[in-house]
This record gives sequence, structure tokens and C-alpha cells, in this order.
Amino acid sequence: MTSDTTEKHRSFDKQRDLPDEVRVENAMAGFVAEFGPKAQSWMNACVRCGLCAEACHFYLATGEEKYTPIHKIKPFEDAYALTHGPFSWLHGLLGRKPKLTIEELEEWEELIYDSCNMCGRCTLACPMGIDIASLVKDARRGMYAAGLLPDRLARIVRNAEKQHSPFGSPEDFRKTIKEIEREYGIPLPLDKPKADVLMTLTPEALENRHFGVASMARVLHHLGLDWTFCSDAFEATNFGYLSGNMELQGALTVRLIDKAREIGASMLIVPECGHAWGATRWEAAKWYGAPVDDIRIRHIVEVLADAVEDGKLECRPVGESATFHDPCQQIRRGGLEEKPRILMRALGMELREMDPHGLDAFCCGGGGGVLANERAGPLRLKAFELKKRAVEETGADHFVTSCNICEMTLGRDIEATGFDKQIESLIDLIGANMITDQPPLKAPGRGAKPKGAGKRAAGAKKAGKGRSATRRKPAAKK
Amino acid sequence: MTLLELLEGPLWIASASIFVVFAAFRLIVILFTGRREAEARPVGSPFLGALRTILGHFLPWRRLLGNGKAWFVTIAGYSFHIGLFVLLLFAAPHVEFIREKIVNLPWDPIPRWGFILSAQFAFAGLITLWVRRFVDPVVRLISRPDDHVAAGLTFIVMLTGCMALGEQSAFLRGLHLGLVELWLIYFPFSSLMHTFTWPFSRGFTGAMAGRRGTRA
Amino acid sequence: MAINKRHSAVRLLWSLFLLAFLMAMPALTGNDSLLAQESSAARAEPGPPNTLGKRSDAEIWHDLRLGAGGIANPPTGSREAGAVINAEGWEWAKLRNPEKSPIVHYGAWGLLAILGLLVLFYLIRGPVGHGEDSGRRILRFRLSQRVVHWSIAFVFILMGLTGLSILFGRPFILPLIGKEAHSILLTAAMQAHNLFGPIFALFLLGLFVHFLRGNFPSLVDIKWLLKGGGFFGGHAPAGRYNLGEKAWFWTAVIAGGALSVTGFLMLFPDYLATRNTIHLSELIHAIAALVMIGFSLGHIYLGTIGTRGTLKGMVDGYVDENWARAHHDRWLEEELEKAESGDQARETAEEGA
Repeated sequence: MTSDTTEKHRSFDKQRDLPDEVRVENAMAGFVAEFGPKAQSWMNACVRCGLCAEACHFYLATGEEKYTPIHKIKPFEDAYALTHGPFSWLHGLLGRKPKLTIEELEEWEELIYDSCNMCGRCTLACPMGIDIASLVKDARRGMYAAGLLPDRLARIVRNAEKQHSPFGSPEDFRKTIKEIEREYGIPLPLDKPKADVLMTLTPEALENRHFGVASMARVLHHLGLDWTFCSDAFEATNFGYLSGNMELQGALTVRLIDKAREIGASMLIVPECGHAWGATRWEAAKWYGAPVDDIRIRHIVEVLADAVEDGKLECRPVGESATFHDPCQQIRRGGLEEKPRILMRALGMELREMDPHGLDAFCCGGGGGVLANERAGPLRLKAFELKKRAVEETGADHFVTSCNICEMTLGRDIEATGFDKQIESLIDLIGANMITDQPPLKAPGRGAKPKGAGKRAAGAKKAGKGRSATRRKPAAKK
Repeated sequence: MTLLELLEGPLWIASASIFVVFAAFRLIVILFTGRREAEARPVGSPFLGALRTILGHFLPWRRLLGNGKAWFVTIAGYSFHIGLFVLLLFAAPHVEFIREKIVNLPWDPIPRWGFILSAQFAFAGLITLWVRRFVDPVVRLISRPDDHVAAGLTFIVMLTGCMALGEQSAFLRGLHLGLVELWLIYFPFSSLMHTFTWPFSRGFTGAMAGRRGTRA
Repeated sequence: MAINKRHSAVRLLWSLFLLAFLMAMPALTGNDSLLAQESSAARAEPGPPNTLGKRSDAEIWHDLRLGAGGIANPPTGSREAGAVINAEGWEWAKLRNPEKSPIVHYGAWGLLAILGLLVLFYLIRGPVGHGEDSGRRILRFRLSQRVVHWSIAFVFILMGLTGLSILFGRPFILPLIGKEAHSILLTAAMQAHNLFGPIFALFLLGLFVHFLRGNFPSLVDIKWLLKGGGFFGGHAPAGRYNLGEKAWFWTAVIAGGALSVTGFLMLFPDYLATRNTIHLSELIHAIAALVMIGFSLGHIYLGTIGTRGTLKGMVDGYVDENWARAHHDRWLEEELEKAESGDQARETAEEGA
């Protein structure tokens, strides 16, 4: 996990034992599997102006033309016209064969998985409004069906399939929840047969961020919600969504929603995660063939922000200045732009926005499964430079975000580049500073991970001071 | 039957029919086939989102306002498209032709200087954009043969049209018309279809954003 | 040109005479000279003038040239309202006569000679190289420079082909394809030429702005010249552009500028020019065009098959470091220094911005 920057670059990985012809066939079938008016309009509108490149952080950071977003789906695009376009019959009559080849697919694996976060920034730059992120997702479906994805991602997908979650089995989950209860002295409702709210988590929170879990629980208690974790539906992340494994994506989403229905919940809360929000809130309907109307799918940031607005949640003012990293799946593609900002205000922080921010923000570089894909590490670090510069320019004391993947990515990149900022979780800050009658969290005991974010929030001032001291560094380096 | 009569008669009908039938067919396939997925409960209005994106993307993205390439593409793009549409719909010979063959246009043709001016805008835009396909590494990489054929064919059509401006020669008129017919036949099978697909492409993206309570 | 001199004295006399005549005009009715009587008589008569043949040919020509006596009636608003015949056109016509024109004659031979020299040079010297590639690239032309260059190149070739058809059509093309085809070719060529002219002028402006830097003369140009530009072996030092390139730049700017200005005059003769300026414009236009086309042949040769690795610089924007060392050593030094001083010149020079 720490070898991101040293891992030698390999051009492609292969899974499963399939003849090349089958891989190619599967790839194409997977690509067009969900095609409808949307994707078909996008596929037929591009005029090759190249402006999408100007939006992509991978292109901007490297200047390499192969990172032009629309180029990332080129083999599929070429073959689409010949095999599935409206005039495929004509091409057939003329004897023109599909152009997709196994070599092309292998070559494109890197572009489809390593150099696209599906962050959707290019969509905004496209004069035709083509949603290239969606098309890359279609391409990933093809690649998954062809057994051509980065090995590490494939492994995580297998774990998610076999053991319920990349984190582990329901049994592992129960053990960890008990552990967190003990560590922080907070009751965590688990497997209640009936509850009004089903709370979900990310593997990262379960592995490394127990304080975050405790904070979240404390807020939910404070809000007086009737909530529970479920050991057979705790996993919010969706590696089916990220890898292109459509069946898995559906199964994971359906598992959550069915469970919520089973316990009679009226609300399903998605934790600090970006793509889980997209997969659950915005794509669940397609697995049911109808909008999920009986259960409100809400993001934890949304729940907290609404509580603040309703006057149900108040915080001790933290003061100091902060900048917010916008997780693309929550903000640009998720519609939550205002919510984290409400929380920052509730924390009494002076919000210093990055340039660019909000809908235009750069992605952390790890989304869309790129973080899980070790070989993309060096490329990701290049893209991080853009983010780093934007953060430095704000001069803010705190660097906050509301997505575990962003947090992990930025945390690792900060470590790798020796950047003098720490990335903080918005929920942790709320948890540490909320005004409540709830019993305080126990100081983390021996079992706690050293990454305890409470310490970070408290030690923020120090980091702030350190900033000015180390700020001269980059200049000196040059 | 002379070649010009052939071009103005049966060949015109044939190519125009191919254009209409196949372009319509392609649009129908794009808009009415494939999967239609159930969408999530909306937060904002998909309709307003679509409208916003359809209109908003007429201008470059705000983040690209300091970007030379974006300005170039925008200015050259508009120069070409506006010039071309003025030529197509308002040039005197075109107005006459359209009135004779298709529909009685309610407007008067533009004067000659208007024609010349629009042609200059159209050519300047098309030439610079096409040249860029060869010398910008990004655009060269992503340009398909189709993009070059479409640009080249459009250029030749425009060029022969301007060469026939003297309206003295049946040969030049026939040459222009013949190439127009070739262009019409090529159109539905090529990226020239963006003429019709752009509002849908923008609209679907905008609707998605509108539904999610964000903007695109 | 000797013809011109001989005639200029005559022309001057004519002019003085005409001026006097013009000034006398208002007084004509009150004058009792023969001419005046005749004129007023002619004016008093209804119907076409001089049907009785009372006036001499010289007088009729006289009137035609000035539009006197209501004979001439060219479009109003024209700068020369009233003049029907311009005697000076005779001089122009001789220079412009397709069969005998010295411009056509020397122009054709000149262009052929340049082509011949280039072929000869290629056969003897072959393509100029720069040894092995170093594998390190350096940005030579920004995207905007490349776009401007090829845009004007494209239009220049179009203008050249149509223009040469107009200039050489009658003596060279007409005999080959016959009158009818030739007339079609010429009307097409003329329309295209007229249409692309202003675009050429616009792109020329872009060319000037994008390539001015580095094209001012410098001392190293003399060294370059003394070394024969490196064309005959040896190394000739040069900055961003060598003397030959600078000469081409200024030729293109000046000849191109002349082409643009005279072209505009000819496009809008009624509004911008008199007949005499048009004649002059046409001559300047033809000569400037021949100069520019001639020079362009050399430029195209050196930019493509003449020098290895040069074309890449104008297509991709990047050249090999050894190419730069061989052809533009001073420029390379500057660039490398800039890169070293942290100005990230190599590789990262912002594309197209």
C-alpha cells in the first residue's frame, strides 16, 4: 500500500483464462450493454475539438496528449460505429470488420483505469456537453467483461464478491464494531431488527478511521435518530461501480436497499464516500426499474448540514481558516455543493476557497478506483501537484474534505510529496466540536490507530504554524 | 439530358432523399433504441438542467476563459458556423435554388458584399480549425479519418460554390452542385451529424445534472 | 521602361492642356471661339451630338477622356466620373499583354530558373542533415505559430495557383485546354482569388505578429552570410532565425503587404482607386506575387526535403537538439540557458496559450 510511488509501471494486467476473441467480443458487448439514447447521443456528437484535454488534471499535469479524455475510449468508439452504430448493417454489407483488437484493449487498459477518475470535469469543458465519464464507465464494463483490469482492482472486486466487502466478512464487521465501541466508549447499534435509519460505512473507516465512525455515531445519537448498522449490509463502497462489474454493482446496491426495507427503515445514510453516493443515490433506480421512493437515500454530509440548518446541531467555533476539497462524486456529480460549506460555517471556520473549487474543482486523483490501482501511483502524484498548488494559494490553516477516498488519496500524496498540510475529515471535525449532551468519547486506548483524527483536529493550530515555516521550501527547492 | 440537368434533377432528388432518410434513421436509432433506465428521484428539474446546459455550452466553460485554445476554438468555430449558415440560407443563388426546389423562403437574399463577408468568416474559421487538426498533438491524436473527410468535403463544397459565384458557367454550377450532393450523401454517415445531435448530447447531460441538483 | 519616359513628356503636355481646357469650360458659353460655338451649338441641339461630323476625331477623344459635353456617363460616385477613356491604360496594356508582357515572360523564366536551381542543388548537395538525433527535443514553434503558418501557407498556395492561372493562363494554359475550358478556369480562379484575398491579408497580419520576434537583423547574420549559410558545407552560426529565414520573413511581409494593399484596391476599384492606381496596382501585384512565389519555392524546399528534421518543427513544434545545434546554435544556447535558470523552456513551454 505504501509502494505507490515506487511500483514499476506495467502496461496491463489480465484476469481469467479467456481466448482473445472472446475477450474482444465480451469487451464490445459490455461497452454497449447499457447504451440508450443518452450514450448514443454522446457517441454521435463529438467533433474532436480537444477541449476536454484542457479540463483533465492528468493531461494538465503531464502535457501528454494520450490523456485527452475522449481518447480514453477510442478503441470502443471506433468499433462501435462498425458493429453497433445505426449503420452497422451497411458496414457489414461492405465487409468492414470490427476494428477492436486485443492489442488495443491491452494498450487502453491504462487509459481507462489508471488515468481516469470519472470525475466529470471534462464534461463541463465539452462544447457538446458529452459526459465522457459515463462513457469511460461503459468502457470499464467492457474491459471487465474482457478480463482486462488492473490486478489490484480485480482482487478487491473478488474480495467484495466473496467476503461481502473488501473490508471483510459480516463477522469481521461485528468484531470491529465491538472494538470501536470499546475504544471510544460509545454504544453502536448493530443488527437491530427494526430501525428508522440504516447507516453504512466504508472499508477505510473500518480499518483506519475508528474515530470517524465514533464521531458519526455520536452525531446520530445526538440527533435522536433510531438507527443501526447491519452486519449483512454495512458496505457502502461499490467496487462493481468502479471496476465495471455491472452484476456486482447491482447486487451491492440492492443489498443495501433491500436491507433497509427489511428493517423498515425510511432512510439509508451513505457515509463519507463519493462514488457510493453516485452508485446508491443516483443509480439505484436502474436495478429496480423505478425510483426508490420509499427510502430516502441521504449522504451523511447532507444529514448533518440539514440538522445545522434546522438548528438541531451546533458546534463550538473552531475558528482558523480552512479550505475545502470538493469530492467530485458528491459535489460536481452529486449535487451536494452547499452542504459541506454549511458545516464549515457551523464550525466557525473561515472558508478560503481554492481556485478552482466547487463544481469546477480538481479531483483528488484517487477516485474512480485509481487509488486502489497501485501502478497509477506515479501519475496520480503528478496530478496532485495541481491540487497542492491550489491549497497553498489559499494559505488556509486547515485542509478539509468529506470523502474517505479523497482523504486517503490526499493523505498518501501529502506524505509522498512532503507537503506540510494534513487532510482532515469534516465529520471528524463536527464530531469533535459539536455541542451535545452526549457523553464525550473516550480518549483512544491502546487499540486505537495512530491516525486518530481527533488529535489532528486538536493539533491543527500547530500545523497552521508549521505552514509558514515550511512554505519557503518549494522556492528553495527550485 | 445534360449532366447539369441530371445533377439538378434526379441526382439532386436522390442525394437529398438519402440525406433526409438516413439522417432521420440515424436520429431515430440514437433517440429511440437501446435501454432506457429508470432514473432516481430528482432533486432539481431535469428539464431546466437540460435547458441550462443546452444554452450554457454555447459559451466556453468559465474555467477556460483564460485558455487560448478555448478562445481559438470558440472564435474560429463560430466564425465558420455562422459564416456557413449565412451562406447556406441567405446567399442569392441558394435562396433561388431553395425556393425552386424545396420551400418558398420568406426572406430576401443578402447583398453580394454580405455573401463575400460571410464566406471569408467561414473560410478563415474552417481553414484554421482544419490546419489545427494536423499541428495540435491533442487534436491530431483524436482526429478520425472521418473528421478530415468531413472538413475536406465541406471545404471543397464551399470553394466550388465561391468559384461559381460569377454564375457564368454551367460547368462550375454543376461542379458545385455535384459536390453538394456528395456531401449530402456523406452527411448522415459521418460526424457531420453533430449538426443534429448536439442539443441531445448537451440536453441529456444537463438533465442528469439537473436531476442531481448540480450543474453541467 | 524607356517607352514610358518618351511618353511622359507628351503626357505632361496633354495634362496641362486638359487642365486649361477644364478651367475654361465654365466660361465656354460666353466665349466666341470656334470651339465654344460648336460646343454650345452641339449642346443646344437635341439628339446625339456631332451627328453632322463637324468635330474632329481629336476633339471627340478629348471629350471622351473627360466626359465633357455629356458624352461620357460612367457610374456616378466613381472617382473618375466623367472619364471614359484613359490614355495611360495604353502603357499598362502593353505591359499586361498576355503574349508580349515582360512580366509574363520574365516571370515564367524566373520561376523555372528557381526550380531548376533547387533541383540542381538537391542533386549536388542533397538534403542537409545534422548528424545523429540527440533524442532530446526542444520547442521551436508554439501551437499558435504553427496554426498561423499552415493557415497562411494553405491560402498562399490557393492564391498562388489561382493567381498564376490568371497571369499565365492565356499564353500557357489556353493553348492546352482551349478557349471554353480556359474561360471556365479563369472565372473560377478569379472568384476564388478575390474571395481568399482578404483572408490572406488577415493571416499575413497573424504571421507578422507571431513571427516578428527573432526576425530583426543581428551581427551573427553577417557571419552566417560569410559562411554561405552552411549550404556548401561548414557550420554557419545563427540565432532563432538565420539570415535566409529573416529575408524570407521580410519578403513575405513586404511583398505580402504589397499584395494585400494592391489586392484590396483592385477588389474595390470604384471606391478606393482611380484607373491609374489600378494599373499600377496590378503591375505591383504581379511583380510582388512572382517575388513571393519564387522565394516560397526555396522556402518550401528547405523546409521539406532540403533539410532533415525541419518540417517536424513546424508540425509537432519540436526539433531535435542536434538539429538546433547545426542550424540555430545561438538560439539553442539561449533556450538551454533559459531552461537551466528554471524557466522550464524545454517540453513545458505552454502549448498554444
